[in-house]
Amino acid sequence: MMDLVGDLLKTLDQMVNDQFESIEFKNFLGVPLTLERGRFYVVQNALYTSNRRDCWGYVQGAAPLPVKRVIWEHESDELVNDPRAGMDHYTLTVKQGEVIGLKPEDFEKAEVPAMVRACFYAWHHVALRSHWLTAYTASHMLERRNNGKIVKGGGMSYRVGKKFENELGISLKRMISLDVHVVADTEHSENISEIFERYIKTPEDRDLALQGARDSMAIDRAYRGALGYYMAQIN
Amino acid sequence: MGATANGIEVLWQELVRMCNEQFQSAPFQRLLGIKFTKERAQHYSIQMAYYVQNRRDGWGYVQGSAPLDIKQLIWHHEEDELIGQKAQGKVDHMTLAIKEGEVFGLTAQAFERTPRLEGGEVCFSAWVRLAQRPWLEAIAGSAILEMRNSSELIQGGSLSRRIAAMLERDLGIPMKKQINNAEHVVMDIEHAHLLMQVARKYATTEPARQAILRGARESLMIDRVYRGHLADMMTALPDRD
Repeated sequence: MMDLVGDLLKTLDQMVNDQFESIEFKNFLGVPLTLERGRFYVVQNALYTSNRRDCWGYVQGAAPLPVKRVIWEHESDELVNDPRAGMDHYTLTVKQGEVIGLKPEDFEKAEVPAMVRACFYAWHHVALRSHWLTAYTASHMLERRNNGKIVKGGGMSYRVGKKFENELGISLKRMISLDVHVVADTEHSENISEIFERYIKTPEDRDLALQGARDSMAIDRAYRGALGYYMAQIN
Repeated sequence: MGATANGIEVLWQELVRMCNEQFQSAPFQRLLGIKFTKERAQHYSIQMAYYVQNRRDGWGYVQGSAPLDIKQLIWHHEEDELIGQKAQGKVDHMTLAIKEGEVFGLTAQAFERTPRLEGGEVCFSAWVRLAQRPWLEAIAGSAILEMRNSSELIQGGSLSRRIAAMLERDLGIPMKKQINNAEHVVMDIEHAHLLMQVARKYATTEPARQAILRGARESLMIDRVYRGHLADMMTALPDRD
């Protein structure tokens, strides 16, 4: 019998690696960082974190009970307290902002730029309106794409953290949110196999998961492309 | 008292009034007028486990759409329901429901192989749809069911307390052996205040208070329909074991 889950995981790994070859990712990661651009990125990343909390909530609503429990545990780090950081991930992002001169008010009054807003709504749509396996995989893929054990050359948080280090002279350790996510998303994305082993039994189940992966990676490319565009406008 | 504080107090009183009125409705009266047999208790217990599952769906969706600080409140709320307070040796409420079934002679398999009541399924869909509406309506739709189950707010006792009393009267099963009912009698008193916490911060305008009332009203309507279906289900079963 075909190894449905094994093959699926290989495909997902290929997809998250391919993200970094996309024009949108290359443009985003190619924009030279200035302090102002760095500030823009950190504030936008906090909004992205909020959007993740929305989507995981929706997925929790739709998923079977055992999966709801897994998501609840996952959200413990994100929403309530990550023991690695001693705080939730939103607070962590706001605290990280201090290193580059941001205040909590900068996060509170931040506006979501048009192209970013469209991406957030798109992620909401997938999380709310899809089969739970599609919705679950869509949210999971963003953590898989951040897993340095899977993505050759490092996940997104690692690469952005390195840009702060190389281009602004701020070490990755001081970018506490990026630093925590390098580890947290590796752990979060490694907990996934158990769910796939349990719930993916047919090619149709696999296709539902793949649909979520494709949708989410497309939105992610659009999102990173948008961030790169807006950052390039900041002189 | 400021206009907002006064508005929230009026809102709260109206919500409590609506919850109490629920018990005067025909479906609630029919449900609460039934004599339990062992078989009826078994079916009721299984369907209530599905109700608990549907609540988890609803609260998940509400968590998705609520602001970050309310998401955190809901996450803590769901700890009791979904995970249990491990430090206190308390299990999650689904496990509790299945464990309570043992006193009615049910096995875990009985929960797995008994389908959802047709009318229940429709109500569950309606509650999920409500949970996906704008967040103030959605949270009111979920939280009002816990207010309706708070003996602190309901004259004559909450739904869980009244059902527990009926099971004790008809089947001689004391409340302390009805571990799920007993837990909810206590827990929903605490959980019933969640909506007030939300209202104090977010129901600062009349449209916001109206949104809460809309969600609560709709949920109580679904609740009446659901209880009516439960009453019908039990009435269709023999009235003696």
